[in-house]
Amino acid sequence: MNTELAAAAAAARHRKVRRQRVRGLTRHAVLLTWTAIIAFPLFWMISTSFKDAGEWVAWPPHWLPNRPTLHNYAQIFAFGALDPTLSRQATEQAFTIWKGLGDAVVVCTTASLLALLLGTFLAYAISRFKVGGPYFRHTILMIRMIPPIVVAISILIYYAIIIPYATSALLGVRISLFDTYLGLILIYAVTTLPFVIWMMLTFIDEVPYTLEHAARLMGARRFQIIRRVVLPLVASGMVVTFLFVFILNWAEFLLALTLTHPEVTTLTVLLNKFQSASEGRLYGPQAAIGTIVTIPVVVLGLLIQKHLVKGFSFGTIRK
Amino acid sequence: MAAIKLKNLQKSFGGFTAVDGISLDVRDGEFLIMVGPSGCGKTTTLNMISGLETPTSGEIIIGDTVVNDLDPGERGLGMVFQDLALFPHMTVFENIAFGLRVRKVPAEKIRERVAAAAEAMHITPLLGKMPRQCSGGESQRVALARTIVTNPAVFLMDEPLSSLDAKLRVDMRTELKRLHERLKATFIYVTHDQAEAMTMADRIVVMSKGRIEQLGTPLEIYNRPATRFVAGFFGTPTMNFIEGVVEAGSSGARFRGPGFEQPLPADLASDLNGCDIALGVRSEHVVIDGAGAIPGTARLLEPLGDVTLVHFEAAQGRSLVAKVAPGSTLAPGAPLRFRFQPEQCHLFDLASGQRRG
Repeated sequence: MNTELAAAAAAARHRKVRRQRVRGLTRHAVLLTWTAIIAFPLFWMISTSFKDAGEWVAWPPHWLPNRPTLHNYAQIFAFGALDPTLSRQATEQAFTIWKGLGDAVVVCTTASLLALLLGTFLAYAISRFKVGGPYFRHTILMIRMIPPIVVAISILIYYAIIIPYATSALLGVRISLFDTYLGLILIYAVTTLPFVIWMMLTFIDEVPYTLEHAARLMGARRFQIIRRVVLPLVASGMVVTFLFVFILNWAEFLLALTLTHPEVTTLTVLLNKFQSASEGRLYGPQAAIGTIVTIPVVVLGLLIQKHLVKGFSFGTIRK
Repeated sequence: MAAIKLKNLQKSFGGFTAVDGISLDVRDGEFLIMVGPSGCGKTTTLNMISGLETPTSGEIIIGDTVVNDLDPGERGLGMVFQDLALFPHMTVFENIAFGLRVRKVPAEKIRERVAAAAEAMHITPLLGKMPRQCSGGESQRVALARTIVTNPAVFLMDEPLSSLDAKLRVDMRTELKRLHERLKATFIYVTHDQAEAMTMADRIVVMSKGRIEQLGTPLEIYNRPATRFVAGFFGTPTMNFIEGVVEAGSSGARFRGPGFEQPLPADLASDLNGCDIALGVRSEHVVIDGAGAIPGTARLLEPLGDVTLVHFEAAQGRSLVAKVAPGSTLAPGAPLRFRFQPEQCHLFDLASGQRRG
């Protein structure tokens, strides 16, 4: 009897081990395949950024550059006149990354900070005072579901026609938001505000009311409570939210394309400009820019990894 | 020091009335405990006193001042919350100092007063720690230290011991009682735990459905409950109730229920002839012995060490419970005879639940 039981137990253990092994292998196979699918464009972009013009669209494709070159990078990072040793395509191109990079950093950082500031306070009001009624938080996110192109043209009309004419008629000064930092910052802040509110609501809802009640009973005013109790508790959430909307803005193309040119140029718009009449799209420099613009996002993500984990795991506030 | 007066205080949330016109005088330096089941309005009342809720109508007077329009921070109150509400991102020192910092007390003074409060609550070694590093009992002391540091005249406590384990809760009860004696401040304490109410209170307010059922000392509440609700709420196990009629006869008044007949003291039942009554008897006043007039069957025995609870069945399957001396020889299923101590019977009007004798 005992031997039978022991044999059955051994068989069961064996089955369990085998099942776990199969499950582990399947899981890894699926995840690795998925990773390959996700990472392939990234690999192709980095690879292309080191390829010379002839290899960009070679057939059969060159997975890795036959003759690795830094020409693409040299071109996009060039200051002043381009080095004559660079490729013909490159010398035809007058663009460098510096202007686009600077503009993108200024616009995206300012717009994200502005949206974060406004959105946090709005989220506080919605969370604590039920501003707008019980369904307001869903309505806010729905606003963001509208495709940007729907608003882009009407905003363009406002920026380029209505506001300049209205201001010159009323104030005698023609003020235009078209192709200005302010114009792009405003539209970026407005379009990302729903995300900020939505995300910050999740974090602020987590802060127990009693913490604020305790602070009120100790004599703290509303702003003191927000500054000293609520904001420190949602700091991780704010970092995550900032990063999220920063990436949204960093990758935004359509609004920037519609509302700016040529004074303000973000990286995505700049990327699109890398084409020439003779060569078509300049995939090499474009891939180099793509690689470069990915770096800050990755670095930011690594730097604030602690906050990311805390922020995305929610429910981090311990009583 | 401050007395508190509530005048016809009412609070409605939409169509729901949480507090239904209560009036109450809390004496200066008193330890008053508000007790009642969940949703009875006790916490809402406390929140109105604190200023966290605005009354729909009525007045709150602290000392001589009507404080309805004062902010919570201006009422001179200290409050300990059910979840303690320690700021998780601040050290224990900063938690205690918070109230002083927002009042712009000089840094030197803050250090002194925090040290004194920490000393009083025996938490000096914890000052540099974060709240999450403190045990339940330590967090409790931190919350108390944070409250006493501003020297409030009135302490409000909203079920502060509910998150502690049983032993710690008993220890903290003693601690709170000592604190009250030392500070001589007015304490208003909300709980649904009758044991806390009985052991700590000078007076108890029993609330139900937004109204005060009874106000009295713990022994008054226990020995002479004003309503059937209060009688049922206080005491473990719950009081036994039997419904029936009072009948006056030549040999004195009697209570007659289904299968029950219980003589009543003459003074108790003189004017109740023919009234529908709920007879209430606490388990310790049910006597199981051979002299008992009423038959029953033992169903379950619960030995608690100092006493044994006997759950038994009387006529028509009615379940009753008696407290007997430990070492009872009764066994489940065994027949028994029982009686009630006549002078310990409580009579409540069947319809209104009010005490009738």
